[in-house]
Amino acid sequence: MGGKTDVWQGTLALMVLRTLETIGPQHGYGLARRIEQTSGDRIQLNYGTLYPALLKLEQEGYVRSRWGASDNNRKAKFYELTKAGQRYVRKATAEWEETTAILARFLAPAGE
Amino acid sequence: MPKLRAFWLRILGALRMNHKAADFDAELESHIAMAVSAGERNGLSAEEAHRQALIQLGGMEQARQAYRDRVTLPMLENILRDIRFALRQMLHNPGFTAVVILTLAIGIGACATTFTWVNAVLLQPLSGVADPSRLAVVETVTAGGAFVPNSYPDFQDFRDHLKLFDGIAVTRPAAFSVGREEHTERVWGELVSGNFFAVLGVRPELGRLFLPAEYGDAPGKYPIVVVSDRYWRTHLGADPGVVGKTLRINQHELTVVGVAAPAFHGSLPAIAFDMWIPYMQQPVLNGVPTWLLRDRHNRNMLGIGRIRQGVTLAQARQELKALADRMAIANADVSKGMSATLLRFDQSPHGPQGLLAGPLRILMGVSLLVLLIVCVNVANLLMARATSREKEFSARLALGAGHARLMRQVLTESLLLSLCGAVLGIAATPVLSRALKLLMPPGPMSLLVGGNSHPSVTVLGFTAGICVLAALAAGVFPALQVSRMSLSARLNDAGRSGMAGRRRNRLRSVLVAAEVALALVTLVGAGLFARGFEQTIGIDPGFDPNHVLLSQLYLSTNGYTLEQRKEFCRRLEERMESEPGVLGFAYSDGVPLGFEPSWWEDLRIEGYAPQPDENMNIFRNVISPGYLPLMHIPIVEGRNFTEADNEVPDVGSMIVNQAFVRRFFAGSDPIGKKVHGWGSWFRIVGVAKDSKYHYLTEPATPYFYVPFRQVYRADMNLAIYVRTQGDPESILSTLRTQARAIDPNVTIYDPAPLKEFIGASLYPQKVAASTMAVMGGIAILLAAVGLYAVMAFWVAQRTQEIGIRMALGAQPRDVLHMVVRKGLAVTAAGMALGMICAFALARIIASVSYTDSAMGASANLLGDRATDPIIYAAAAVFLCCIALLACWIPARRAAAVDPMIALRAD
Repeated sequence: MGGKTDVWQGTLALMVLRTLETIGPQHGYGLARRIEQTSGDRIQLNYGTLYPALLKLEQEGYVRSRWGASDNNRKAKFYELTKAGQRYVRKATAEWEETTAILARFLAPAGE
Repeated sequence: MPKLRAFWLRILGALRMNHKAADFDAELESHIAMAVSAGERNGLSAEEAHRQALIQLGGMEQARQAYRDRVTLPMLENILRDIRFALRQMLHNPGFTAVVILTLAIGIGACATTFTWVNAVLLQPLSGVADPSRLAVVETVTAGGAFVPNSYPDFQDFRDHLKLFDGIAVTRPAAFSVGREEHTERVWGELVSGNFFAVLGVRPELGRLFLPAEYGDAPGKYPIVVVSDRYWRTHLGADPGVVGKTLRINQHELTVVGVAAPAFHGSLPAIAFDMWIPYMQQPVLNGVPTWLLRDRHNRNMLGIGRIRQGVTLAQARQELKALADRMAIANADVSKGMSATLLRFDQSPHGPQGLLAGPLRILMGVSLLVLLIVCVNVANLLMARATSREKEFSARLALGAGHARLMRQVLTESLLLSLCGAVLGIAATPVLSRALKLLMPPGPMSLLVGGNSHPSVTVLGFTAGICVLAALAAGVFPALQVSRMSLSARLNDAGRSGMAGRRRNRLRSVLVAAEVALALVTLVGAGLFARGFEQTIGIDPGFDPNHVLLSQLYLSTNGYTLEQRKEFCRRLEERMESEPGVLGFAYSDGVPLGFEPSWWEDLRIEGYAPQPDENMNIFRNVISPGYLPLMHIPIVEGRNFTEADNEVPDVGSMIVNQAFVRRFFAGSDPIGKKVHGWGSWFRIVGVAKDSKYHYLTEPATPYFYVPFRQVYRADMNLAIYVRTQGDPESILSTLRTQARAIDPNVTIYDPAPLKEFIGASLYPQKVAASTMAVMGGIAILLAAVGLYAVMAFWVAQRTQEIGIRMALGAQPRDVLHMVVRKGLAVTAAGMALGMICAFALARIIASVSYTDSAMGASANLLGDRATDPIIYAAAAVFLCCIALLACWIPARRAAAVDPMIALRAD
């Protein structure tokens, strides 16, 4: 699996929420595929960890789920962002950007 | 917030309150299906696509497990599983479970009940008041160092000059008769200073309490009353419009201004008062002359102070003492050498806690002792069961359960058992609490004790703590046993019970020995208390209480003046003495050996020079001429009071007792000597034989009598005595008829044979002896059960060994001896330990005393019998017999073992 990275601790939740924000309600499999595609297939997702992560977000009230039909008319459970989830994505995104910006300053070549 | 929400949802998940797990199976299925069809679209075979989907998922079961862990709280899940398992185990063995739960219920119930009393009487003396920790009792201290109540003028000085107090209030318990002439009812209440409620911080339930405008010191003013919530509900129909209405109290109309908060019962612990009336009404209601309210000598008010925030008790006490010392100098004529001090509420010598504190502490100790025995017993039973469940535990160990997991399981079981016991015990508490009331002696106060007896939050908290402690105490040994269990040893043992049980048996033997020791301690305690009680009962009180009917009159509440009261007594005496069957009639202020404190007077004795700080406050009684003959108290010298003592002469008459003569007139003739008290002179006309006045166990105490007609004052009590030929109660109807014939409004209160009434002084000993006897019985029963269980189990385990012994020629008798010897060895070890503990405890308990009087008179609970060897020996022998019996049954079974069957077993 050379070239592919595991998901960093704690970033999966943000990836999930951000993806849901972009593409709207989605089922678990679609969400997983979409995350891999977004990363340009550079991360390797263990699908088994996705569902507990989704459950955690649901318990925290950031997403909600309901049963629906998939594109090819299969029964599937769809996840969508709640109001609280939207707020959380905005906040977490800002924080993450701040963090990376700071880190970038440290990692930039010396002298700049 | 989101975290909390998630936590809550997971708890619900653990309790199976949602159906996430089942839902997830469907979701997984749909996931796999989508992954497989995606794989197939990419050209994989159906089989390969399915394989790839599973790889990506990381395994079906793993995914499920990860999801499940998130649905619930794994820790909580485990605990719930333990509980479910424990419940199944309990239902599986209903007999065992019932025995353990009942045993625990006895122990926990006894503790909870005792604690209810301790809480009500000692820990939370006052309910319904604000910040009780800042309240303290204000006591006047006599020159001799005794605590006495305060006078109203002293209170005024305290109130006006103390800076470290938010306020000081005084109160005097009193009986009122409420209602119209023919239908009066006696109600207990308090005559209080106007600021009483403000100082205590009581809130009204309805209307208002006393206002600052009513705090004044103008005798006869403020005809108002505050009633208790209880009285409002039971007597006034919980009428919301009661404020502003009037109540007829002691034949005077008083306006109800408010109802006190439901939790407030007055200023004495464990007593529920129903009315509070300004003390300034005392002259109106009880016909007390107003000068008495200004008399510093009239010390009959209980004082309560609220210490200012941030001031310590010691600082406040210091300020109070300094002021009181100055007052003693300024008012040297009445207060020479007097001082004042501040006491914590639980140290107050007034009210029932003086009597109850000692017995209650002992009772609490005994309850804890019984609980300890219960715990040891339950531990024993649990260990026996853990042994018989060895196969189950081995199986679980073999399947990978850790020792910690098994220990937790065992502890969960014991916790569950003790919880059931606690619930049962708590349920019994209200019933048991009433027992305290039953034990109370007859008399006016008996009606008031135990205002409420349903368990409070404090009691529930205490019980919960006890419950957990009991679970730990009972569960720790079985848990240790399980933790030591070795899988290999057990498997190698191949199901035969052999040496593996050795250490375990030793542990159980230690437990039984401890049980025997504890039982011996209780037994010795019971014996000592019973012996002390028996001894006390055997003491001659110095008067004859048989065939005497005692009752109380509250003539002042009928609006009688002092003269009318004296006249009423004289006429009642005339009428009663002409009745057939009446051998004597008398009346007095105080009743000997009663429940209430005795009064005293500061005396000056002609020809006797007291030491500078000698206590010249001598106990006294105010009696009618018939009193001493009726009581069969002989006059050893001089004469009794006569009708001639009935007018008010320049010099009054006085009869003193022998102890009085010994102390003040050593060697000289007391007759004709003059004694000064109540502001005038008395001449000693006679000497009465010593008798008992406060406790049967008291040493001879100086005491004197003065004639009713000369000294009787408006604020004194009036007890009447009728001596009869037969049953004293039979004369009651005659007494009622005669009293009504003089005045139809007069009611005879609290009639009781004097014999029963004086039981009051025995109350603490009676409580101690009877509860110890009950607890001792329980302890012996538990110890016997424990010993039996251990011996029976020991025999069962050794059936094969015994079989072999018998096959090799041992006789049944040898086997019998072996088992009994083993049992007695355990008993002997326990007994040796118990003797040491019992001896040490007895010495501690011997120092516990009780009192019903602030005057320093107190008696010991045990008497001087703490080391009576007969009791120790008797307890040991008795316990030995019980132990022998407990061993005998299993031993008989062992001796009856058929070697052939025993060897074939297993």
